[in-house]
Amino acid sequence: MGVKSRRRFLTVAGGLAAATLAPAPRAQIMRTPLNHMPAVIRRLVGVRSITKGRVKLDVPPLVENGHLVPLSVHVDSPMTAANHVKAIHVFTERNPLPEMVTFRLGPRAGRARVTTRVRLADTQNVVAIAELSDGSFWSDTTHVIVTLAACLEEAPV
Amino acid sequence: MDSIEMPRVSRRSFVIGAAAAGTGLAIGLKLPPFGPDVVRAADGSPEVTAWVVIKPDDTVVIRIARSEMGQGTLTGLAQMVAEELECDWSKVTTEYPTPGQSVKRKRAWGDFSTGGSRGIRNSHDYVRKGGAAARMMLVQAAADAWKVPVAECSAANSMVTHNPSGRKVSYGKVAEAAARLTPPKDVPLKDPKDWKIIGKPVKRLDTVDKLTGKQVYGFDLKLPGMLNAAIMECPVFGGKVKSFDAAKVSGRKGVKKVLPVGDSAVAVVADTWWQAKTALDALPIVWDEGPNAKVSSASIAEINKAGLDADQAFVGNKAGDAKGALAGAAKKVEAVYAYPFQNHAPMEPMNATAKYTADKCEVWVPTQNGEAAFAATLAASGLPADKCEVYKIHLGGGFGRRGAFHDYVTQAVRIAKQMPGVPVKLLWSREEDMRQGRFHPVTQCKLVGGFDASNNFTGLHMRISGQSILASVRPQAMKDGMDPATFQGLAPSGEFEFGYKGIPNYLIDHAMRNPHVPPGFWRGVNINQNAIYIECFMDELAAAAKQDPLEFRRKLMAKNPKHLAVLNAVAERAGWGKPAPKGVFRGLAQMKAFDSYVAACAEVSVSGGNKVKIHRIICATDPGHAVNPAQIERQIAGSFVYGLSALFEQECTVKNGRIEQENFNTYGSMKIAQMPKVESIVMPSGGFWGGVGEPTICVAAPAVLNAMAAAMGGKRIRSFPLKNHGITLV
Repeated sequence: MGVKSRRRFLTVAGGLAAATLAPAPRAQIMRTPLNHMPAVIRRLVGVRSITKGRVKLDVPPLVENGHLVPLSVHVDSPMTAANHVKAIHVFTERNPLPEMVTFRLGPRAGRARVTTRVRLADTQNVVAIAELSDGSFWSDTTHVIVTLAACLEEAPV
Repeated sequence: MDSIEMPRVSRRSFVIGAAAAGTGLAIGLKLPPFGPDVVRAADGSPEVTAWVVIKPDDTVVIRIARSEMGQGTLTGLAQMVAEELECDWSKVTTEYPTPGQSVKRKRAWGDFSTGGSRGIRNSHDYVRKGGAAARMMLVQAAADAWKVPVAECSAANSMVTHNPSGRKVSYGKVAEAAARLTPPKDVPLKDPKDWKIIGKPVKRLDTVDKLTGKQVYGFDLKLPGMLNAAIMECPVFGGKVKSFDAAKVSGRKGVKKVLPVGDSAVAVVADTWWQAKTALDALPIVWDEGPNAKVSSASIAEINKAGLDADQAFVGNKAGDAKGALAGAAKKVEAVYAYPFQNHAPMEPMNATAKYTADKCEVWVPTQNGEAAFAATLAASGLPADKCEVYKIHLGGGFGRRGAFHDYVTQAVRIAKQMPGVPVKLLWSREEDMRQGRFHPVTQCKLVGGFDASNNFTGLHMRISGQSILASVRPQAMKDGMDPATFQGLAPSGEFEFGYKGIPNYLIDHAMRNPHVPPGFWRGVNINQNAIYIECFMDELAAAAKQDPLEFRRKLMAKNPKHLAVLNAVAERAGWGKPAPKGVFRGLAQMKAFDSYVAACAEVSVSGGNKVKIHRIICATDPGHAVNPAQIERQIAGSFVYGLSALFEQECTVKNGRIEQENFNTYGSMKIAQMPKVESIVMPSGGFWGGVGEPTICVAAPAVLNAMAAAMGGKRIRSFPLKNHGITLV
């Protein structure tokens, strides 16, 4: 597919996203509100930048009810004393607490791959950030749809 | 948002076999050699927007994300797209996009879930915009071809007209060009007063196929090389399979495999379903019944009863100081009500057909939520999203069983995974369906009302004791331990706002007691019992105060004008205040649920102390907007069948940890001869969009119960179903 058609497809998708996913009026669709994830991430990295890449966040794009979601993170790293992953942090943007889990690693870990199961409150972005021994930060983001969140009626205020 | 990844678009179009097609056409994303810009359906017809495909012969294919289960949502959504699209309604057909497509195209069609009476009210805005955008693009394409300003063109009935010259072109001829345009960002919608299709009682799009037998249900599905599976899960919830003796049945004719499914079920796969089922019946299975094998309805009732007076409870709604008002009351009225477990019992038992290979897992299933079925498929197959697909089939009844629970999909995929390459149709027997429900929760309710010395109603304490649905199904939605769904129809504000804000002091709270029986969303969810509890008790209070039940309510509803409007409408239609025919008595009920206001008035006679005849029942609903009034009337009547069947006949009891009722001989429903005449008043007041599928179900039972009490000299029945009291519906 050529670049022109890729752009066209993205425009269609983007335009449709604007047209079709506009929030409904009043309180018909009650999404769990965004938490303070951006502030928490900023606190972690300080003034340094985060680069997309080297981190592979593996979580299903669609889960039934967010009760028990398998999640794994793999970071491309030789895991030597000179060059290794110090920590893998996972954040969510709509759980009550943005910090989900932090794994602390070192060269003795052998490889930077962690697996766990987590709970998701609602459809949202999940962000994995790897902190490397050279002080750099790398990330991957996955959007996860939680289908049961939509199945339920809006909770009364 | 971070950089958008280009979705992988397959060059193969995937086609659903004719047997599975349901409403027909497949959806594929074939990229033609001539111009890669246009997204196309499998037959090459262009998508103008993701919502609308236009064929050269002007047939319009509208994509519907929600599921049709008899409630008419398919037709209602199509009406809304067609309204803005300005197409010829007689040429409209519909098609279900698949959830796999939805994930690939970043949810171009929004939410697939069909529940909570939300199909129309949660999608109306964006589906109308999808149709309007398509219309704007078609008009633009015609204007471009004619080299005239868009403002001089108009669209109607699938034709674009250049008004000054009278030139016309049909949609089919400009669809190709329209599909290449960029969709507009600003999409204004019509004023409701200009609607031509929305609001009209148009015939449903799915009726003909049902009448001719062309409609395919999951139950009917036949795929080449398909085998059939019967399954039994441990009947005691939470139990497991200890062992089973496959050798006893493996040699039977047609039996191919005897398999464990997860750790709590066993399936037999055979050439025919009957061979599978009879083998399963003969298969010796030893269960490890787990910790709940001694639970019974009586033991659950005892726990719920204790909760009625417990100190700790979650407060759902309150005003003033109810406890103080009741402590100082000159007269108190007290009543305890109880509501049982119930099963959805759709006519089509749970089923799913799955085919698994290491490269692809496909599932054909009747589901209220295609995306949830897809999520279950991903989890059970272990394959990534781009290797899975779910094909939605029309449902033979959903009612909430097929929305939030896809245990049958998980089972079907687990079976198919043990027989790679073979399509396996898993079909539950009626008995399995009755045992493995997701049940209407069991609760009791103690209501205490207080009057002062001048006979003014001053305080109400409503204590609900019993099961929370969300605690089991979606704990993330709990609020500091409280289940807000328990208070449907009783809430401080919103979709389920309490209708008696004029009561000076009230406290509505919930002592949560969760048994091991898995709860689910039965049609109406918690409004069924809540409406009985509050509306029957309001009549008890009115009687104690020697006031007319309607007048008693009206005085408390000054802050609830829309609740009052529907109540007044049914009362007026029934002739409340004027004498009823001899032997006929009237009863009223009202509630707000799923953002609609509903009320009912029943006219009932009782003979021999226990034979009830419902002569007439009037329902009023204000859903804000009415997309298809004829369909709403049918939904009202249908909801009354469901709700009155429950009231008179339906209870799931627990013995030795399992559900006792296994078929319709012990779990009945209304017959045609018992069905009363239903009169509907559809009175949309505008300005909001309320649901239709569920709200009305809750007012039939209390209206009938209140009429019965009037007929029986004030005798109240407070536990259900009525057959337990020897009461029959004639």
